[in-house]
Amino acid sequence: MIRFRRIVQLLSLSLFLLLLFLVSLSGVSLLNPDIFLRLDPSLMLVTAVAARSLWAGLIPAGLVLLSALLAGRIFCGYICPMGTTLDGTDAVLRPRKKNKRFFPGLFRIKYLILAFMLGAALFGVSWVFFASPLSLVTRLYGLVIFPALSFLSGLVLDVARPLADALHINTLAFARIRTIRFDTQFFIFFFFIATAGMVFFSPRFWCRCLCPAGAIFAIASKSPLIRRQVSSACTQCGKCTRHCPMSAIETASPRSTLHPECIVCRNCEAICPEQAVSFGRPQILRIGPSSTFSPERRHIVSTGLAGAGTALVSLTGLTSLYGKPGQGQVGTPGLVRPPGALPETELLSQCVRCGECMAACPTNTLQPIWLKAGLPAIFSPAVTPRRGVCDPRCHECAKVCPTHAIRHLPPRERIWAKTGTARIIRRKCLAWEFQKHCMVCDEVCPFGAVEFEKRKSVSVPVPHVLEDKCGGCGYCEHFCPVQNQAAIVVTPMDELRLTAGSYETAARPRGFDLRIASHDVPSAPSPMPYPHSPKPENHPAPGFDPE
Amino acid sequence: MDKKISRREFIKHQAMTGLVLAGAANGLFLPGPVQASPAPDIGVATGGAEAATRAAVDLIGGMGGVVKKGDHVLIKPNMSFPRSPDEASNTHPGVVKAVAAMCKEAGASRIMVLDHTLASGKVCIEASGIGDACASIGTNMVHTINAPSFYKEVPIDRALSLTRTDVAKAFLKADVLIAVPVAKSHSATGVSLSMKGMMGLIYDRGIMHRMDLNETIVDLATLLKADLAVIDGTRVLSTGGPGGPGKVLKRDTVIASTDMVAADAYAVGAFEWYGKKFNPSQVRHIRLAHERGLGRADIENLSVKTIAL
Repeated sequence: MIRFRRIVQLLSLSLFLLLLFLVSLSGVSLLNPDIFLRLDPSLMLVTAVAARSLWAGLIPAGLVLLSALLAGRIFCGYICPMGTTLDGTDAVLRPRKKNKRFFPGLFRIKYLILAFMLGAALFGVSWVFFASPLSLVTRLYGLVIFPALSFLSGLVLDVARPLADALHINTLAFARIRTIRFDTQFFIFFFFIATAGMVFFSPRFWCRCLCPAGAIFAIASKSPLIRRQVSSACTQCGKCTRHCPMSAIETASPRSTLHPECIVCRNCEAICPEQAVSFGRPQILRIGPSSTFSPERRHIVSTGLAGAGTALVSLTGLTSLYGKPGQGQVGTPGLVRPPGALPETELLSQCVRCGECMAACPTNTLQPIWLKAGLPAIFSPAVTPRRGVCDPRCHECAKVCPTHAIRHLPPRERIWAKTGTARIIRRKCLAWEFQKHCMVCDEVCPFGAVEFEKRKSVSVPVPHVLEDKCGGCGYCEHFCPVQNQAAIVVTPMDELRLTAGSYETAARPRGFDLRIASHDVPSAPSPMPYPHSPKPENHPAPGFDPE
Repeated sequence: MDKKISRREFIKHQAMTGLVLAGAANGLFLPGPVQASPAPDIGVATGGAEAATRAAVDLIGGMGGVVKKGDHVLIKPNMSFPRSPDEASNTHPGVVKAVAAMCKEAGASRIMVLDHTLASGKVCIEASGIGDACASIGTNMVHTINAPSFYKEVPIDRALSLTRTDVAKAFLKADVLIAVPVAKSHSATGVSLSMKGMMGLIYDRGIMHRMDLNETIVDLATLLKADLAVIDGTRVLSTGGPGGPGKVLKRDTVIASTDMVAADAYAVGAFEWYGKKFNPSQVRHIRLAHERGLGRADIENLSVKTIAL
């Protein structure tokens, strides 16, 4: 049975990694790559409360909960990629000496963590990313492990390439492994190390004591239909209590089981010298009462209130955008959100910081931020044009978002999801300040939103942004040859973020005219012509010298 | 004919030829002087993309004069933009295909079509049509070189400012370099032709903008000197280059020369840019290249042969 569990665990982890790997390294999405995230009941419940919406997305987590009613915490024991990962690290890090005695009182922390998060969620603030197991593990693999592996395979490829070149194997000689880099990676890494290091207190310490999804499963599996049974053959030798990875069998009474803590690993069944343990429908005669260590009500209420208190602190931060946009709202300077991202407050309550969007981003422009926009926004995605462009034809990030914090838009709509506006820093610009022929920004702009113009004061043509045509994609900033900070930067000015409805419908009345520049499609006369557009003929032949 | 001629005689000869040419000034391309003239400096053909490419190269002596049996050939087209062939930001796939086919016929042992693209490599290879077009000549020929590991830093001995840069390893290994640019305008350098196109074989283009773009293009051309330049003027991006969109002129013209400066200079004069005619000397990097002895921009003194298909 133990072997069966290991195989299921490995299959589940492999599927999880495969789905993530496919979006992360090759942009192929098989199934819904976010399906594992949507199985996490803590992630979905807290998000549903914080975002005040109960959508169909909750169904997978609901089904998983039903499995707990039926057979206990099988998700924890068989499916959860975090649990399997911790089993792996536990095997490596397990201390030689026997664990100290485990305090069953620690079991209750997980309920308090869940209560804390739900308390904050009542005010629309989501702390789910601190403790949701699937958020943690997706972030770990997607933003820390895969980049390290891709770096390593890049090195291997560098060694293989000259050989392939000598053998004229062009495909390998010119093969390229995408280099992915992420910000905040050490914070993600250390958080995981801390979690894995808790094996010094007990195996699977995280799952026993801290995991909020474990708490929900524990509540649902107080007395599952199929559960651990101990027959009268039991001699109370206590072997099972020593081998239980979850301390779900009390030393005093090996015949009884703490079903909320049991992950159905069936170790006890395998090792029982009397073969007194089985898993199945309970017999009519129950030996010993099923007890649980659920915390007292006042603890639940007080931690819930504490969570709500942190939500209030969060909402009264200077950069909190709670309420209506307008005067007095202090947005984070330069924070460009991915296209289709919900308005900031909704984004922060709905985004679970799993990092799927960043792992899926083909140009690596989506980066997790740290404290740039305050504690409530850590690990949330930001467009970083210096690293990569946000191509107006791409919406991979939205495809994998498990909570629709980034709305998935069809291509027609996607192009209207303006993420910001480029602004030229004339004092750094090679043309404006150094009077050099450059115009790379004009060269690369897919919207045709950078125009050159001739100014009396400058000897070379200089770039000028047509703000209403700029989609904020960052091609200009990315390719600007000026070192360090570019001379043209995308700012969130005029970004368009909608909770519902058509982006095009919202964009047109604002005078935006966003389209991939093409001579094939003559631009329709704008109903609201931009008054300051420099005429194309104001410098008839840029780059040519006078005769 | 084996007799060596003295410098004086040579100059006399030149002057006489000049007189003959002057006499025929209005009919510039009437049958030339009877004396056995080698292949012209520039071959110009008009017609369909593939046929015109073959004809232009044949005019200047054929691919056999450039590619020897067993050579490794590097072809450098423009395919930096995810745009279709009729938008003229990229080289016409037919022109690239014909050049690759001729290299193969000449006995090249390896042909690579490479560019350091601005947009994602895969998208560019697909949208430009170059990947598909070359698939019939050989498999896995067209690639992009967008990662630093495809480059190696080398000195550029004859450079004035860009004295070192990271150059495509594929170039360092190749026996023959063929530039196959599309004729297009460029907002910073007037035009983007074979010399400007060599920026697709280095890693850091930014430094060229920070130095002086026109001068560093010439610096680069001293190292990345194409053995053959085939300029695709089947469509000319006359305004809005290099990325487009802009005014596209259908000219069905292909220009070939073993002197990349001459090919570029001829292309400047052959097409309209921004609705006007320009002299090659009005493009600074072409003028500088001529002055620094990289090639000839004085088209009026070169032999040009044209053919209409």
